[in-house]
Amino acid sequence: MTEQNNHTIYDKNGKPTIDRPWIFRTYAGHTNVWATNALYRDNLSKGQTGLSIAMDLATQCGYSSDHPIAKPEIGKVGVPINSLDDFHILFENIPLEEMNTSMTINGTAMWLLSLYVALAEERGVDISQLKGTTQNDLIKEYLARGTYIFPPEDSMRLIVDMYEFCLHKIPSWNASNICSYHLQEAGATPVQELAFALVTAITILDAIKERDCFTEEEFERCVGRISFFVNAGMRFVEEVSKMRAFCEMWDEITQERYGVKNAKYRRFRYGVQVNSLGLTAEQPENNAWRILIETLGVTLSRKARCRALQLPAWNEALSLPRPWDQQWSLRIQQILAYETDLLEYPDLLEGSVVIESKVKQLKDQAYTEINRVLDLGGGVEAVKTGYMKSALVSSQSQRMGRLANGEQIVVGKNKWVEGLESPLVSDSDGGIFMVDANAAQKTLDALEETKRTRDDARVKAALSRLAEEAKSNNNLMEASIECAKARVTTGEWSETLRSVFGEYRPPTGVDGQSMSIKEDSESLVSVRKKIANFIETHGYRPRIVVGKPGLDGHSNGAEMIAVAAKHAGFDVVYFGIRLSASDIVQSALEENVDLIGISLLSGSHNEIITQLFDELDKNGAKDAIPVILGGIIPEPDYDSLLEKGVKRIFTPKDFDPMVVMGEIMDVINEQKSKQH
Amino acid sequence: MSRNQSSIDSTMMTEINDMLERATRLEKWPLARLISQFETSTDKAKQIRHTVIEALNNRPDKMKKNGLVLGITGTPGAGKSSLIGEVCLNILDKKPELSIAVLAVDPSSQRSGGSLLGDRTRTNFPINDNRLFFRSQASDLDLGGVGKKTYQVTRLLRHLFDIIIIETVGIGQSEIEIEQLSDHTCLILQPFAGDQVQFMKAGIMEVPDTFIINKCDEDSLAKKSYHLLKSSLKLVNVSIDQEVDAAKKIFLTSAIKQKGIDELSSFILQLYSDPAVRKDTREQELFYLRKWVQQEFGRFGTSQLNALPAYELQSHNSYEKKESIILDAIHAVIPSLAITD
Repeated sequence: MTEQNNHTIYDKNGKPTIDRPWIFRTYAGHTNVWATNALYRDNLSKGQTGLSIAMDLATQCGYSSDHPIAKPEIGKVGVPINSLDDFHILFENIPLEEMNTSMTINGTAMWLLSLYVALAEERGVDISQLKGTTQNDLIKEYLARGTYIFPPEDSMRLIVDMYEFCLHKIPSWNASNICSYHLQEAGATPVQELAFALVTAITILDAIKERDCFTEEEFERCVGRISFFVNAGMRFVEEVSKMRAFCEMWDEITQERYGVKNAKYRRFRYGVQVNSLGLTAEQPENNAWRILIETLGVTLSRKARCRALQLPAWNEALSLPRPWDQQWSLRIQQILAYETDLLEYPDLLEGSVVIESKVKQLKDQAYTEINRVLDLGGGVEAVKTGYMKSALVSSQSQRMGRLANGEQIVVGKNKWVEGLESPLVSDSDGGIFMVDANAAQKTLDALEETKRTRDDARVKAALSRLAEEAKSNNNLMEASIECAKARVTTGEWSETLRSVFGEYRPPTGVDGQSMSIKEDSESLVSVRKKIANFIETHGYRPRIVVGKPGLDGHSNGAEMIAVAAKHAGFDVVYFGIRLSASDIVQSALEENVDLIGISLLSGSHNEIITQLFDELDKNGAKDAIPVILGGIIPEPDYDSLLEKGVKRIFTPKDFDPMVVMGEIMDVINEQKSKQH
Repeated sequence: MSRNQSSIDSTMMTEINDMLERATRLEKWPLARLISQFETSTDKAKQIRHTVIEALNNRPDKMKKNGLVLGITGTPGAGKSSLIGEVCLNILDKKPELSIAVLAVDPSSQRSGGSLLGDRTRTNFPINDNRLFFRSQASDLDLGGVGKKTYQVTRLLRHLFDIIIIETVGIGQSEIEIEQLSDHTCLILQPFAGDQVQFMKAGIMEVPDTFIINKCDEDSLAKKSYHLLKSSLKLVNVSIDQEVDAAKKIFLTSAIKQKGIDELSSFILQLYSDPAVRKDTREQELFYLRKWVQQEFGRFGTSQLNALPAYELQSHNSYEKKESIILDAIHAVIPSLAITD
């Protein structure tokens, strides 16, 4: 054997080698199964090496496209999947056995995996060859993303069922994927990301242990199947250290808590989508650099390098990216992996005293937090009591405070805001992608066709078997696969389980929160003065309702507005996510509020605002209660929304919550002066 | 002439009558707007209140309502809202002709005065059913969890609904005011273990008429809590010697497992149909008058109030009328005070 260099990677036999790149993915899906299938084949031909399927919100929340609550959402933020017939079209001419397929699906993860298995079986593919991941992390859904359906205990049971099934039948499938991505989007600090993600993994492994369905050897393999999905933000030295801390802690936890002997099964395997929260709608072209820097955080360090990567597009803070925007993000990855020499070297950061000390600090603090949550009774308990949720809401409001105070610089947003307009957004399409509103009909027709042609007796039998097995404690995978083959729909599958398990509403986490905004900040002083004047004149404190309609569960915006409004001095009615327009109007009427504030990120604002005004009109309150809208609202939609009656539109550009509150107070005063 | 006697003009009178007419049919928005008048501190709102209460008092006997006011209190996390939601649905299932209002009081921020009213989160009421009305209220920096505004709104709701549930957060010495306001008070507890009982102060244990141990998802813990509570009630001399008493005094419930809901709602219906349960509202009125005078004018005010001839305050004048009488008495003295200064 020749003498070895420290700057060369050697394989098992001592031969110089280089690393294989991570899997290149694009989180994609829109409109309907036909359009999405075309998009996938296009992306694969451009050098993408894996699929990451985005489902629309109705599919994620367990509704078929023909459910009233689903209609405004069809094909908006992902592809609608109603039955196995849809899966046949989605994967047409895509070889399942060669794919590594990741599905961002949680509440209905078991259903989508069942569809995938049924598809393979109907195509004659050996299911043990299937490779991929179902996200299936319900704890973070309760905390951050909101597409949960069932109570925590029942959700845990479904997850364990999938581990049991996969280990025996699809050994290369990751039955769940502990997801700290959304925790960061919801405001988590690196310590909270580490702690809450690892607590979630511990919660799942404890539940599997309790089921006692594996031999010791099988349990080790099962630990080896746990994968993670993380987020990387802009503070990239901290992010690199966070990833190294993750790897070390997982190795320690699996060894010490679960006695896993084989080092291979203790490895921290993870995929990444880098942070979208930090992307700005102002000077959106700057986002390209942000995405690249965030990518370095998860690729630079060989010991803690990601297994798969998907990047947001530069224009994601504006609306949905176009295929060209996604292609640009894919090219960043390819340039880094193939043009640079990154993959030729061993770990670059080993021996760095700065990194080592930072990693130690993060680990120490994260272990403290993990022990706190375990003391509180573990992951499920900390969801039910709202402990983790309020920790996140608190971190997020501190972050909002730092942005508003200028303590945290975001270029183009709160510093160096003057700039030339980007030529990238001057195209006739405004630089964003719009889903064709008429394409939903094709999905509805296909669903109708499936229902018309299926064997009703088989459907009925499959659903009653599912209900029976849900009531007993049998593994639900086989019953679900039979449902898939019988052409049961997504809505029917979830409805059956809803009737057995019930539906869950977790704590909102906003109780007792306040904002860290300096008491003497100009915008805060100004809005409090407006409120004091209002109380003096009208004899009561102004009341607003903050509503989060539709299926979009990204509640951060609504929560921040609710907390900020209380901080300003409003009486605020906020009661969580997934409300219908009627729910919100009824609460606005009963509470006799002075204003309705709506938060929407899913792109269904046109449909939902129409529903809301219809409902107000029905109650004779259309001109009496002003409505404002906040969220990701593309500029081309402003005019029609204002015409419908929306009084103000706020977007991520309005980052100082107290300025927003001041404008809300102006709207209320305008309304009051009209009445007199 | 009293400073409060600016007149209500005829347009306003028509507006009030229309609002009241629709509110008595329990239409949600007019009712909500009327409630707001009982929470508003302008002179105009005070006159509207007076007019409305007079109108309600003058309704023919068969249209009169004297709703049962039930106070429900308990620590955060005890599951008050979910339980109340289930109980309301159960009551209406048994007696579809009844109507229920829930008034949920949440604390206001000491710093900004604002509040987050989130109790709707856990109350799954049907849409567009006039038999059920849900309203949030901020405590508005009034220590005690319930305050003058709660009293004012309760005055109105008694005339409009069959059952009024006042929900408040927290239990402490200051929470005792809810007893004053309600015909019957329930304390919701979580299942507990032995030594927790010692933390409960005797004073608090004497407040509730009924104890509800909620979240009894598991039988053994529920039974244990029941026996611990029973023995600790004996310690503070709450009479609970016989099993019959205990059955009226302690309920074990679980909103998730639907346990004890039926029993609790039957019990509430029993209270509803028993006229003896209703407290004398004139005493409440005096309590809140005194409290208000004490807050606004201190010991001086209270002495003026006490100096008033008893018949002035015992009569059936409305609250607003009594307020004016006291104000006049106080203002009659203040100028002379100013001269001696």
